[in-house]
Amino acid sequence: MTQIDWPTLVRSLFSQETAFTLSIAILILGVVASYSVWRATHRVLDQAGINDVVEGTPFERTARSFNTSTVGIIATLGAIFAYVAAIILALSIARMGNPDLFWSQLTAYFPRLFVAALAIITGLVVGDKAKLLVSERLRSIKLPEVDIIPELVKYSVFYIAALIALGQIGVATSALLILLAVYAFAIVFLGGLAFKDLLASGAAGIYLLLSEPYSIGDQVRIDEHTGVVQEVDMFKTRIENEGREYIVPNRLVLRSSIVRIRS
Amino acid sequence: MTGLGDFVEELVADVDAVFLFSPTASVHERLAEHDPVVVGAENEVDAEAFVELPLDFNDLTERVRFGVEGARESGHVDPEADIVCLAQVFDDDIDTVTRVNAADFPESGVYDLFADSLAEPSVIRNVLEVAVELGKKGQKGKPVGALFVVGDAGKVMNKSRPLSYNPFEKSHVHVGDPIVNVMLKEFSRLDGAFVISDSGKIVSAYRYLEPSAEGVDIPKGLGARHMAAGAITRDSNAVAIVLSESDGLVRAFKAGELILELDPEEY
Repeated sequence: MTQIDWPTLVRSLFSQETAFTLSIAILILGVVASYSVWRATHRVLDQAGINDVVEGTPFERTARSFNTSTVGIIATLGAIFAYVAAIILALSIARMGNPDLFWSQLTAYFPRLFVAALAIITGLVVGDKAKLLVSERLRSIKLPEVDIIPELVKYSVFYIAALIALGQIGVATSALLILLAVYAFAIVFLGGLAFKDLLASGAAGIYLLLSEPYSIGDQVRIDEHTGVVQEVDMFKTRIENEGREYIVPNRLVLRSSIVRIRS
Repeated sequence: MTGLGDFVEELVADVDAVFLFSPTASVHERLAEHDPVVVGAENEVDAEAFVELPLDFNDLTERVRFGVEGARESGHVDPEADIVCLAQVFDDDIDTVTRVNAADFPESGVYDLFADSLAEPSVIRNVLEVAVELGKKGQKGKPVGALFVVGDAGKVMNKSRPLSYNPFEKSHVHVGDPIVNVMLKEFSRLDGAFVISDSGKIVSAYRYLEPSAEGVDIPKGLGARHMAAGAITRDSNAVAIVLSESDGLVRAFKAGELILELDPEEY
């Protein structure tokens, strides 16, 4: 990484005295900067309606119990980041600390720590929100077993957020990544297997809806069932004949061919 | 429950059932031991006994009638139960208590119209809303008439013929979309009926209905549009919703009979 060697540059420009004064000025400026970062983050996030989005998630509730909010925590994080950056800058300019590898590493490490913290917070909020959304969608299904799906979604998001955070702070995550890959593969593979018929019907349904080989009111014979078409949607075709209603999956419609009866 | 205070407990003590109209969670919780029947647009409190109100009835009488009929049909109350209804008339809070007997409400079929038709209740509600809105504003300020046949579209299509090209051919539009409601209003100047499927897809406009009108008994004084509506619902399992051009009322027919009459101005 090519970086400008700021301390050396500063020392070549200023004397030891001015460098010290400058570092004090930077500390004061840092206070101002971190405060304005705090204010700006607050305003931007408030305007973006983050408060409404995170409303009711456990993270927000925990934050509330500490007399702050998700927006407040993110803003404070930003402010701390700005202030610590100012301190580090001041220290390296004044050469008060040990201008060692330690500091240069810390300066490089610090933003990543910040991103990791941000990833964790975002993960917690998004995970809870996703769980809420999914369970809202599934609310009409009154089955106790269905509760597992929102939980699964929540912990999947948590897992990914934790992976990002760990990757940022430099922990070896390859084993966890493999686990994630296996998990994703299992979902895709088993999901594909389980939804095979639905997917086939959906694909056939898109074709039927676009080309409309038959429409509502036509007399047809599909898969041994004769009757009047009542409804065509993505997955099924409903055919009615004298009080009997046949619900034919669309994949069978394409497979069995359609007879239109004109009398 | 600010307006009611403690005397509610006395009122609900000796009746067979308690009806709550769109209650808040706290009201519902307070009366939970009486196993109240919740009547409202949405089951917000997750009550076990729930009757969905399809329309935003302003009139308390209509609301109570619909709630009682619905609860009776779905078996939440006995046909002769004494019922206390807690409802809101003026405010968002429960402020009105009435006591009725379920037997005082003869079968009018309004609940049946929504809950027991082939078409989905939300589709019927959307069509009613379009008709009401059309009745309120008319088409470009002039009163218009319209006829919507909802549900059992296959049979309705076979008992009707096109008057002209179908503007909804090969399109996949459903009632309830705001833009579609505008389209329906525009097309309402065309003569003929709209045919709408069970799931709300607009199958056709410009249909001339050809049911056999024999023995259809609708109130005298209604015109050909209403006669056609009554007849098609007798010949199929559809529901017909008519906006009258002459008196501006919205009427719903099912099984050949007039079920519901609404004045658009009141909604």
